[in-house]
Amino acid sequence: MKHTPIPVPAETDDRQLVARLRRLLEQERRARRDAEAIAERGLRELYESQVRLALLQRITDYANHSDDFSAVLHTALEEICTHMGWDFGNAIRIDERGRFANACDTWYASDPQRLFTFIEASRSLTLALGEGLSGRVLRDLHPHWIDDIANESWFCRREEAVGAKLVSACAFPIMLGDEIVAVIEFFSSKSMVDKDNILLTVAQAGTQVARVIERERARDALLHDALHDAMTGLPNRVLLDERCRIAFERLPAGRQGLAIMVIDLDGFKAINDKYGHHAGDALLIDVTGRFETAIGAFLAANPGCGHATLARVGGDEFVVLLDSLLDAEAPALLAAMLHEALRAPTVVDKDQFSAGASIGIAHSGLVYTDVEQIRRDADLAMYEAKAEGSGRTVTFTDALGSEARNRMALEREMREAIRDRQFVLFYQPIFSLGGERVLRGYEALIRWNHPTRGLLDPGAFIEAAEQSGLIVFIGDWVLRQACSALARLHARLPRHDPPFISINIAPQQFLQPNFAQQVQRVLIETGVPPECLRLEVTEGVAIIDSERTRQVLEEIREWGVLTSLDDFGTGYSSLSYLQNLPFDTLKIDRSFIASMDEPKSRNIIRAILDLAGNLNLSVVAEGIESHEQGAALVEMGCQFGQGFHLGLPLDETSAFALIDGRRAA
Amino acid sequence: MKGVIFNVLEDAVVAEHGPDSWADLLDAAGLDGIYSSLGSYPDAELLAIVDRAAATLDQPVPQVLRWFGRKAIPLLAERYPRLFEQHRSARSFVTSVNDIIHPEVRKLYAGAACPHFHFHELDDGRLAMAYRSQRQLCHLAQGFVEGSGDHFAETVAVEHISCVHHGEPVCRLALDWAA
Repeated sequence: MKHTPIPVPAETDDRQLVARLRRLLEQERRARRDAEAIAERGLRELYESQVRLALLQRITDYANHSDDFSAVLHTALEEICTHMGWDFGNAIRIDERGRFANACDTWYASDPQRLFTFIEASRSLTLALGEGLSGRVLRDLHPHWIDDIANESWFCRREEAVGAKLVSACAFPIMLGDEIVAVIEFFSSKSMVDKDNILLTVAQAGTQVARVIERERARDALLHDALHDAMTGLPNRVLLDERCRIAFERLPAGRQGLAIMVIDLDGFKAINDKYGHHAGDALLIDVTGRFETAIGAFLAANPGCGHATLARVGGDEFVVLLDSLLDAEAPALLAAMLHEALRAPTVVDKDQFSAGASIGIAHSGLVYTDVEQIRRDADLAMYEAKAEGSGRTVTFTDALGSEARNRMALEREMREAIRDRQFVLFYQPIFSLGGERVLRGYEALIRWNHPTRGLLDPGAFIEAAEQSGLIVFIGDWVLRQACSALARLHARLPRHDPPFISINIAPQQFLQPNFAQQVQRVLIETGVPPECLRLEVTEGVAIIDSERTRQVLEEIREWGVLTSLDDFGTGYSSLSYLQNLPFDTLKIDRSFIASMDEPKSRNIIRAILDLAGNLNLSVVAEGIESHEQGAALVEMGCQFGQGFHLGLPLDETSAFALIDGRRAA
Repeated sequence: MKGVIFNVLEDAVVAEHGPDSWADLLDAAGLDGIYSSLGSYPDAELLAIVDRAAATLDQPVPQVLRWFGRKAIPLLAERYPRLFEQHRSARSFVTSVNDIIHPEVRKLYAGAACPHFHFHELDDGRLAMAYRSQRQLCHLAQGFVEGSGDHFAETVAVEHISCVHHGEPVCRLALDWAA
C-alpha cells in the first residue's frame, strides 16, 4: 500500500514540533475523557436498570405468590423506599365509587420512631377527591410531586411532615385499566431528583401490585358466582347449606333460635309454560325483590329476630334461614308478610301474573342432630301447606311428622307392592234392572293383598297413591289387567252380546299426556272390543282441566269406548260438565241409594234419572244393598245397578263364573 | 483506588505545578501512569505519587493529601455535577456521602470500595465524622470536607480529634460549620 503523505510545512523547528505534539496529546486526553464519560454513562444506566429490574422482580415475585393485597402493598412500599432511600411509604385505597381515598394502615417507615407523629397522621387518613396529596392523585389520575413540603400549605400533613424533617414527597395512582384502585405516596428527607427514573420504577411496581387486585377481584367474582344464583343474585343452595351449617353449629345448648322457611311459588310452572321463560324469569326477579324488601322491613320492625338469609334453591323454591331468633312466633309473622308481599300481581309486558306461595317452617330443637333434618321437615311442612291450597303456611309439628312418616312408609310399601305384584282386581257384576235382571258387565275394583295387613280396600291406600303419583302406575296396571281378564272371559263366551268392563280412572292418570294412546294400545294388545270398555272418571278431572278432559273423552269415544261420570250427585255436580263433556253413563253415588228411604234422596235420584233421560245418558245405581232399594230403582226407571244385594265384588274366577249362570238362566 | 482519583490528582498537580510536573512525579515514582477513570489501580501507586510530591515540595504527606482533597472537589464538581446539584450546603453534601455519593460512585464503578463515614453530633454542637479506613487517608477526607466548604462558599473548621496515625482505633474529624 502506498501512502500519499500530507504535505507539512518544510520549515519546522523543534518548538513548533513540541507545540504540535502537545496539541495532539491534549486531543488524545480529551478523546479519552469523552470515551470514559460515555462508558460511565452506559455503566450507570446499566447499573440502574439492573437494580430497577431486580427491584421489580422482587415485587413481581411477591405479588405472584401472595393473594394478600395489603401484604403485597407493604412489600412494594418497603422495596421502593429501600431502593430509593426514602423514609416513608404509605398505601391508600380508593373506595368503590372513586370518591374517597382511605389510608389502610399499610405503610413502611425506615425509622418508625422518628416518624411516629407523621405515621399516625398518615395511616388512617381519609381524603376527599382533590384533597391533599393523594386526593389530588385521585382527582387527576396522574402522579403528583412535592419538592419542598414546607412551602406547600395545601398539604394536609405539612406540620407533621416538617416536624419529621421530611422534605419531598410523591404520590402515584395504581390503575386497573381505567380505574384507580389505590394511591401510593412516598416521603423523603432528601430531594427527589431523578423523577424520570422514579416514575419508571414506581409505575412498573404499581402495575404488579394492581395485578393482585385484579386476581383478588377475579377470585371474588368466581366465588360469588359459585355461591349465588345468577338470575336473582341471591345465595344459592351451596351458600345456604354453608350458612345453615354454621348457624346450626352456633346454636346454644338447647338448640333453640334457628328456623328454616321453605317457600314454593304456586303456579310458577304454569306461568313459565304458558308465557315462556322470559315471563317466568321476570316473575322470579320481581318476587325476589319483594321478598328482600319484606324481610328487610320485618327485621327492622323486629330487632329480636336476628339475621335472615334468603336463598334461591330451585326453579321456584326459596329458603329463608332465620338465626339468632329470640321469638319463636317470628317466622310465622314473616311468612304472613311474604304472602302479603305476593298479593299484588307482577306485570310483565302488560301481562299480569299472580304467584302465591306455600310456606313450610321448621324450628330447631334438641331432636335435630343436623340442620339437614330441619330442612327436610320444613320441606315437608311446605308440601303440607301446598296440599291445603295456595297462600298457606304450615309449621312443622311432631304430629305432622308422624303422619308424613306413615305416609312415606305407605308409599314405600306401595312401591314394593307394584314391584311384587301385590295388587289384585276384584270384579263386581253390573246388572240391567228393568224386567229380567241380566248381568251386563263388571266394575273392576282394586284390592291390595298386603303381606302383613291382609286384603286392603282402596280407601286404605288410593289417597296416598294419588299424593305420591304412584296412582299412574297402579292405574295403568289396572287398565291392562282388567282388559286382559275381560279378553280371557270373552274368549270362552259366544260373540253375541259380550259383557263389558268398567274401570275407574284417577284424575292424574286420565290427564297424562299419553292417556288416550295408552288406552288404545291396551285395546289393541288385549283384543277387547272398544264398546266393551267403560272408563269411569269423576268430576275431579274436569275441575283440574275441563277442556283437556273433553278432548280426551271425545278421542276415546270415537273408537267406541264408553265413558261414565262416577259418583254423580256428590261434589259440584256441575250441569255445565254434563252439558260440555261427552259421557254415556251417569253413576249415582252409593250415598243416595243408602238413604233412599228419605224422600229427599229419592227426589234427588228421580231428578238425576230425569236429567239423564233428557241428556240421553244411561244410569247405573251403585251400592244397592237390599231388595227394596233395587225394586224402588226399577220403579223409578233406573236401567242398571250394582251392589252387595246383586253381587259382591269377587276374584276373577268367581266373578266370571256368574256369567255362566246368566247363560244357564 | 479508582482511576478517576489519579486523573483528578493529575489535573490538580498540573494546574498548580505546570504541564510537566505530573510526568516528573510519575518518573520519580517509577510508574507508567496509565490511569483510566474506568479502571482501578493499587493504592500504593497513589501513595507513591503523593510521597514523591511531598519529598519534592518538602512538605509532610498529610499536608499534600489535604491539599489534594481540597483541590479535588472543584474538579470532581466539574466531572460529576449531578452529585453536587442536589445540595445547597456543604453540610448537606458531606453528610450525604454514605447514602448518595458512594452509591452513585458504585453505579459508575462496580465494585468500588468506598469508605463508610459515621456522623454524630458532638456535645459542643460540632459534627463528628468518624472514619475507619485501611488506607488511612483521613487527611484526604479532611481536604474533601474543606473543598466542599469552598464549593458552597462556606467556611468549615476541621479538627482532627483522633487519628489512626496516632494509634487510635478510628479517625474522627470535628466539623464546625459555624466558624
